[in-house]
Order: sequence, then structure tokens, then C-alpha cells
Amino acid sequence: MNAAWLPLLALATSLVAAAVIFTLPERAWRLRTAINLAAAIAKIALVVLMVRRIADGIEDTLRFQVIGGVDFVLRGDALGIMFAGLSSLLWLCTTLYAIGYLGRSPNQKRFFGFFGLCVTSTFGIALADNLFTFLIFYELLTLSTYPLVVHKGTPDALNAGRIYLRYTVTAGVVLLLGVAMLYSLTGDHSFSSERGLAPYLDDHRGLLTLIFALLVGGLAVKAAMVPLHGWLPRAMVAPAPVSALLHAVAVVKAGAFGILRVIYDLYGIELSVALGVMTGLAVAASITILYGSLRAIAQTELKPRLAFSTISQVSYVVLGVSLFGPFGTIGALAHLLHQGLMKITLFFCAGSYAEELGIHRIDELDGAGRRMPLTSVAFTLGAFGMIGLPPTAGFITKWYLGIGAVEANMLWVVAVLVASSALNAVYFLPLIYRLWFRPAPTESGKAWPNEQRHGRLETSAWLLWPAVFTAAISLGAGLFAGLPYSPLEWATRVAVEEYLP
Amino acid sequence: MTTLLFVLALLWPLAVAALTLAARLSPRPEKAPGVASDLSLRFSRVFRPFSWLWVSASWPALLLAVSGEARWQWEGFMLGGLWELTPLTRPWLLFTALLWTLAAVHAKGYFKGDLTADFKDETLPERSASAEKRRGTFVLALFWPLAFAGNALLILAQDIASFYFGFALMTFAAYPLVVQAATQEAWRGGRVYLILAVMGEAFILAGLLWAAGAAETLTLSGVREGIASADAGIWMALLLFVGFGVKAGVVGLHVWLPLAHPVAPAPASAVLSGAMIKAGLLGWINVLPLGDVSTQGGLVALGQGILAVGLIAAFAAALYGVWQRHPKAVLAYSSISQMGMLTALVGVGLVTPEVWSLLWPAVALFAAHHALAKGALFLGTSISEHSPRWPVPLLWALLALPGLSLTGALAAGMVSKWSFKSALYEAEHALLIKLLTFAAIGTAALMSVALWRQWQRRQVGGSDGYQQGGWLLALAAALTAPLWLPLPQASPVPPLKEWWGLVWPLLAGVFMVACAVALLHRRRGRLPPAGDAWWLYAVAARALYRPLAQVGERLARMKQACVELALKWERRAMAAVQRCLFAEAWLRHHVGGLMMALALVLAALLMWEGGDFWPGR
Repeated sequence: MNAAWLPLLALATSLVAAAVIFTLPERAWRLRTAINLAAAIAKIALVVLMVRRIADGIEDTLRFQVIGGVDFVLRGDALGIMFAGLSSLLWLCTTLYAIGYLGRSPNQKRFFGFFGLCVTSTFGIALADNLFTFLIFYELLTLSTYPLVVHKGTPDALNAGRIYLRYTVTAGVVLLLGVAMLYSLTGDHSFSSERGLAPYLDDHRGLLTLIFALLVGGLAVKAAMVPLHGWLPRAMVAPAPVSALLHAVAVVKAGAFGILRVIYDLYGIELSVALGVMTGLAVAASITILYGSLRAIAQTELKPRLAFSTISQVSYVVLGVSLFGPFGTIGALAHLLHQGLMKITLFFCAGSYAEELGIHRIDELDGAGRRMPLTSVAFTLGAFGMIGLPPTAGFITKWYLGIGAVEANMLWVVAVLVASSALNAVYFLPLIYRLWFRPAPTESGKAWPNEQRHGRLETSAWLLWPAVFTAAISLGAGLFAGLPYSPLEWATRVAVEEYLP
Repeated sequence: MTTLLFVLALLWPLAVAALTLAARLSPRPEKAPGVASDLSLRFSRVFRPFSWLWVSASWPALLLAVSGEARWQWEGFMLGGLWELTPLTRPWLLFTALLWTLAAVHAKGYFKGDLTADFKDETLPERSASAEKRRGTFVLALFWPLAFAGNALLILAQDIASFYFGFALMTFAAYPLVVQAATQEAWRGGRVYLILAVMGEAFILAGLLWAAGAAETLTLSGVREGIASADAGIWMALLLFVGFGVKAGVVGLHVWLPLAHPVAPAPASAVLSGAMIKAGLLGWINVLPLGDVSTQGGLVALGQGILAVGLIAAFAAALYGVWQRHPKAVLAYSSISQMGMLTALVGVGLVTPEVWSLLWPAVALFAAHHALAKGALFLGTSISEHSPRWPVPLLWALLALPGLSLTGALAAGMVSKWSFKSALYEAEHALLIKLLTFAAIGTAALMSVALWRQWQRRQVGGSDGYQQGGWLLALAAALTAPLWLPLPQASPVPPLKEWWGLVWPLLAGVFMVACAVALLHRRRGRLPPAGDAWWLYAVAARALYRPLAQVGERLARMKQACVELALKWERRAMAAVQRCLFAEAWLRHHVGGLMMALALVLAALLMWEGGDFWPGR
């Protein structure tokens, strides 16, 4: 039985929370926190319910007509719920973290309100069932993240926000053009339809290719593919929880997820291959992977290094899609989740170092492992995952991508993957070495750059436990990848649906 | 029962590491009197580093290896876990766990004073240096069981994911073992170790992905079959050979051994050179289609290449190693040389696959004997530097024994030499046998030099029962290896007429070293540095870096120029827009006059067009 209220209710939890937070006064700290956490937990519960229903084969759909021929459709399918589940889980973690990070600083009403909107739009992107619905939430995401990026209000932050808007709004226009052209060609086209666009191939080959380029080009800006990545390293001025959410789930992932939707559910894999766009995409993704890693090596500050690492890692998803085969697909889908878990851990830790010890530069990390052991263990696990060392989640995706590349007879992709692993090792292992094997400045009589004592533990519990939790999940996702409901198992389920209709 | 043993063998080391850490973190009486209860005091005493509980990390694995062949499968682990003790891996696990245990017993004595030492009399820099070393010792104690867990896992694993996991865990957990001393040289040795290890991991990953993807398999046996049948099998095999070759010290990739071994503490060197280096060999045996009679031409050619590389290592390492000053560096070169011989035997497995079924028990015996003998030699370096007050001839005879055995002149070494020689006789590899016999001269020379260098550094006093006990047990285990190693059939004892063929290289080697020492010992000159080719690599890397950096700079300038160009265009476009706006403002300002002018123009046009506008005309 179709429960149309379920996707709507799941979407509404964060939306209503955002609306309520906007009406609350700034000083209502406790109430705001309570609403935030209650909404986040309710959302996770609803997502779990949806997952169970999808596992039973029921896809809840909400549909109403906006104007003739254009419908607003939300549908809980296996692929969408992966992304929705990631966003709601990480929303809870990031909210907890942000509560600790912001402390009693001003403008929290604005922050948490837009935070809720941002999660709402991510959730909408995940469950959107046609391009129209997708586009609405996609643009909403752009607008709701801007206040978060410029939250600090410094000239630097405002500048970064302006660049962010330039990139994303321009991309939105390009995307809109593609959507409009596609609608004029085919009319409303559901992601869940079996038909695909194959009937148009013979007559409109060139047009379809152009629309593909417009759609993917527009989405690639948010996915931060080279050379459209310029906004991402600059957006680093945002507060740590925003960076964490931006990099792990909200913005870059929305772009990558959009590309997944366009290829799997809009064009269909066969059609995309027939158009001959996949190899181009694979090359673009490979360039992004290597370029991001090389630039990351050159960074001397922690957060920019992580930002370039994101640029590199998100393109794994695109690379997996472009490999055209079940293994590549599984790798891409699993990486959507794995990268989110690992990268959010790294950003949480980077934020904790900055808050607790005032560490921003990489050479200031010396000996921080002994001062903040749990945070540093989480960081180490995240970094090992990025390198792709077993048993972390990163290894699982690298394995599937590599196997997919061999099956697709694209051995150069294996070379790219291996080179990227080595480069990741080059820029992450020195950090780990500094954390654990260098003496801390306090041992030679110097002090940390700006030490605060935020709590009885190594730092405030709000900052510590989310990082430990996500690190543990990213380890578990690799170590127990064979268990039911692991990211890998769910990704396999989606891939099987895509390839064996 | 076996399942329980499997779980214990893999999880107990992790538990030991966790308990060691917990004991460290629990409140200590000297820091917080009153807080530390009686119970937590006892806890931190039982679980302190280098306690018997710490030593016990490798015991379940030992018990598992003793108890017989077994198999355990669990789908939920990574890509599907499959762990098995086969006729090959059972002896392998046995000697590995035994060496780890004995080295741990030795470590009990070796690090005795390190954690509790009192540094009141030292000046500040000295105190910070010794604090760093103390910390290094604790970190070593923490990672020792983890490295063992990796080593045991990679031996037990029959599926790719857990094998690679074990390999990576062992590799990275061994880093603290190398850098324990926290000196300049230790950091350098650790850095070289890590750089090479990461390169090796990359090659292994590439090879495994390729082979597993082509064969659609998740098990090591599937990889072997896939490589044997694939068209590009030779390239997959080459990648894997190079990847595992880093660990096994293949010539060219061996540079970490002589740099990391001298700086590591003796028990760590023992397990590095005895047990972990063998992981590379086991990796080859696991993934290369050795003994597969259907191998094609390409793989045979690769086998010949491996054979040649192995022999080169066996000779070149001996030639270079005898000039080393540090006994541990000499021993490291000896490891490279011995692994070269094993490499050559692996090559034989590809070139003449028929003989592999006879050869592999000999390889396992060779590996076991070398592991324990080399372990005893490395532990012996700490004995000779802190020698007990035993009769000098007895002590030095004991120190020399594992070396003598390695040359093949007596005991287990002789049996092991003979068992692969007899297998090679079957395959009629006369030249190879001759070359391996000559390589034994090199072994003898290296052993003599190592002993001589130890003699030069000898010091009396300071070792305790644990150190001596671990060392003596390792020695005994090495000499009796063929008796207890569970191989499919008993290893043959050489007939008496072959005996001379096994002994003369020893005499020749010792004689050559004696002559060289007699001739050269007045000469002063610089000895070649440990790590040989590493210094060439470093120079090459630096030379390569400069043009790359220039290219990078040029690219950055190019990008800057592009940005500036774009900005210029933007400014120009914005200026045009601005001008439009300005024009609009001007228009707005003069709207009255302009309208008048427009009206006039219109009127004039109308007048010109026709006269009937003005009434009355």
C-alpha cells in the first residue's frame, strides 16, 4: 500500500524544524537544541521505516500536479533512500557537532534555520522523481547554503560566498536550460519509468548529447569537477560543521548524486553508452582525481588540503558511474556513502583541532595525537579510509571500482586508482606521522597556537563523540561490508535493480 | 573448537594491544595517589607493557598451528572472509608465531629499564630525548601485538581482502617498531621503510585488482588460476612480484632493509627480518601460479627473470654486505642474500612447474629455518653487546651457531639445503645448484663478518635471563626446525658423500674473509654506506623533482595569466554595462529636453511628409 504521507513527513521534519527555529528568539538556546535534535532523530526513524518498506518492495510516492504536464513527485526508491539516509544520519551528527562548535556565539537562529533548510533540500534531491522536482530542491540547496558559507560575516567569508554564488547560480542556469530543452523534447519524464529516452535516439542524437552535456555540466559544478571546482577550496572559510556537511553530503554530493540520476534513471545506461559520453566522463573524472590529489599535496593548511582531497574523492563516484558495469556502479553508490562518512570525520577532527588547540596549519599538528587521542584516532581512521587501506570503507569502494574498470576493459582507470591511492598516502601519512610521532610543542616549553579547554575530556563532548561515531561507522562499513544493510549490500541491491530490471 | 581458536588467534593480539593501552591510561599511583584503587593498580600491573600477558599475544596462533589443519568461513567480513590452515600455511604460521613469541620474551628483558627509568640527573635536552625514547618503547609495545595480528591474518587468509588487510596491518603497525629509538637515523630508516612500503602496496593493489577483476574471483586460489589462464597474466604476475618484492627484499627494492634494521631494536629486527620479510615470499606463493603445469610462455620467461634477479641478489648482497660496519647491517644484507636464494626457487616454480610439488616443502623449511636462525642472529647482537659472564668460547660458539647453520654446514641448515638441492636434482638444474652452492660462500663470508663486527662491539654485562632465554630458544628451534615443522613428508637427510659439497663453501667463505681482514685491516678508507641504491634513488628523485617543480610553477603562472585575462574581460564587460547605465542616467536627466527634441523631430517629419496636418492649409 502506498503511503504518500511518508516521504512528505520525512521531508517535513527538517522543514518544520527550520521554520520553527526561525520564529524562535535568538536566546532560546535550549528549545532550539531540543527541536533540532528531536527533528533529526524523527527523520532518522522515518528513513529507517522507509528503508524497511523499500526492502519489502514498496516505493512510497507523493505526487501532485503543479501545472499541466509538470508534476511534483517524491518517491522513496532504493537509490534515493541511500542518499536520504546518509543526509539524515549526518544531519544528526553535524547538528550535535555544531551545537558544541558554535557554543554561545551569535546568529545561531539563522545558522540552524538554514541548516535545516539545507538538509531539507538534500532530502528533496534524494527523493525527487523527476527533473522538475529535482531542480527545485537543487536550487533551494544553493540558496540555503549561502548564509551558512558566509556565516562568519568576515570579508573573506563574504568574498567566498560571492564566488560560491557565481559558480552555483551560473551552473543552475545551465542546468535549467538543459531541463527546459529536455521537457520540450520529451515532456515530463519520471526517473522511475522503464521507458528511458531510447526512442528519441535515432532522430535527436545531437540534441540528446547537447542536453546531456548541459545537465552534467551544470551538475559538475556542485560536484566540483575540474575545472569547475574553484569555489570549493574558497568555501573553506565556512565554520567547520558547514564544511563537514558541504563536503560529506550536502553540496558536492548533491552534484554527484544528480549525475547518477541523469545517467541511471533519466538517460539509462545503454543510451548513455550509445551516445558515447561515458569515456569522456571517465577521463574528466580521472583528471579531477589526479589533479585534486596533486593540489592537495601542495597545501600547507589542514582544511584546504581536505578540500582538495574532496575534489579528488567525489569524482570516484562519477568514475564508477562511467565504468558501465555492475561493479563500477556498486563502487560508485557505495562510495557516495563511504566518502561521506570518512570525509565528515576528517572535517569534524579538523574543526576540533582548530577549536581546542587553535591548529590550522599542518605543521602545527605535531604531537596533537597525545593531547587529543580519540579525535586523532578518528582522524587516522578517516585518513586510512581515504588512502583506501583495508579494512576501512575506502578500501571496499576502491576494490569495486578497480574490478569494474578491469571488467570494462579500461585498465588505465586501474592505474588512476592506484596512483590516487599513492598520492593520498603522500598527503595523509605525513599528517598521521605528525600527529603521533612528533613531540608536542608543550614538551619543548612552547604552547599550542591557541589552546582552550573545552571540556573534561580532550575537548568538548559535543565535538568529540560525533567524530568518533562517524569514524566507527566508516570502519564498520568496511569491516562488515558483507552484512545485510551495510552500504555495500544496499549498493549491490540498487545496482542489481539497475542492471536486471 | 577450531573456530574459537581462529577467533582467538586473530583477536587476542588486538585485545592485548587494547589492554596495554587501557593499563597505560588508568590512573597511576605516582601521579594521582588516592585515585588509583587497589584494583586498578593490579590491573595496570598485569597489563603493563612487556608483561607475560603481553607476550601471550601470539600464543593462540601458536596453539592453532599446532592443533592441525582447519578452515573457517564468514561471509560478513569485508568481501567475504575465508581463513584456512593448509599444508603450506600451517608450518608457516607455526614458525612465525614461534619467532614472535621468542622475540617477545627477549623484548621482556631488552626493554626492561626503558619504561621505568629515572631521569632526574639529566639536563633538559637529554631528558626530552630519553622521554621520546621511552614513548617510542611504549608505542612499540602497543603496536607489537597489532603487527603480529596482521602477520597471522595474512598467513591464515585465503581470500584477497583479508590477506591484503593482514599485509597492510602488518606493514603499517611495524613502523613504530622501526622508529622506537627516536634518533635521526631511526626516523630516516622509518621514512625509507614507509616510502618503499607504500610503493609496494600500490603495486600489490594494482596486481590484485587486475587479476581478480579479470578472473572475477575473491580468493587467492582464484587469483592463481586467473593469472595462469589470462592473456596478460605475465603483467599481473610482474606487478604482484614487484609489490611483494618490496617486502621480500628483491634487489633494487631492498634498500629499506639495511637502513631500517640497524636502527630498530634487536627484537624488532628479529621479527622484521625473520617473520615479516617472509610475508613477501608467502605473498608470491599465494598469488603466482607456481607449479601450475598449464603456464604459458610469458610466465616461464617471467620465471627466468625472477630466477636471475634472485641469484643477482644472492651474490650482490653478499659482495656489498661484507663491507658494512654495523653487525645488523651485515645481517640485513645477509637477509637480502638469503631471500635472493628463495626468490630463485620461486622462479624455478614458474620455469619448471612439475618440480614445485617437491620444492615447496623445501622452500617452507628454508623459510622457517632462515626465520628462526636470523631471529637468533639478531637477538644475538643484543647478547654480544650485553654479554653474560659465560666462558668466552662457549658464548661465541653459540653466537656463531645460527650462522653456521645458515651456510648449510650443519643441523637444520644442512637438511634444508639438501632438501631443495635434491628437488633441483630431479629437475636437472645443475647450473642453478652450482650457483646456489657458490652463494653459500657469500653467506659464510657475511656470517664471519657479522660475527667479527659483533666481536668489535662486545661489552660485558647487562643482559638478563629473558634476553638469554629468548635467544637460546630461538637458536634451538632454528637448529631443530626439520624435526618439529609439520611438513607433508619428512625432509631428507643428506647422504654422507654429499656432505663435503655442503661444507666446503663455509670453509671457503671464512678463509676469504680471514685473508681480506689480514690484508686490509691496516688500510684506512671509507666503507660503502648501508642502503646502497637508496642514495642513488634520492639523488635521482631530487634531480627529477627540479624540472617537475618548474613545470608546476609554469602551470601556476599560466593559470594566473588565464585568471587575469578572464578578469580583464570581465572588467571590460562590466565597463560596457556601466557605460550603458551611465547613458541611461544621462537620458533620465535630460528627459524633458529630449522629449521636446523628439517632439520637434516628429513634427518636422510630419511636416515634411505631408501638408494636411495643419488644418487650414
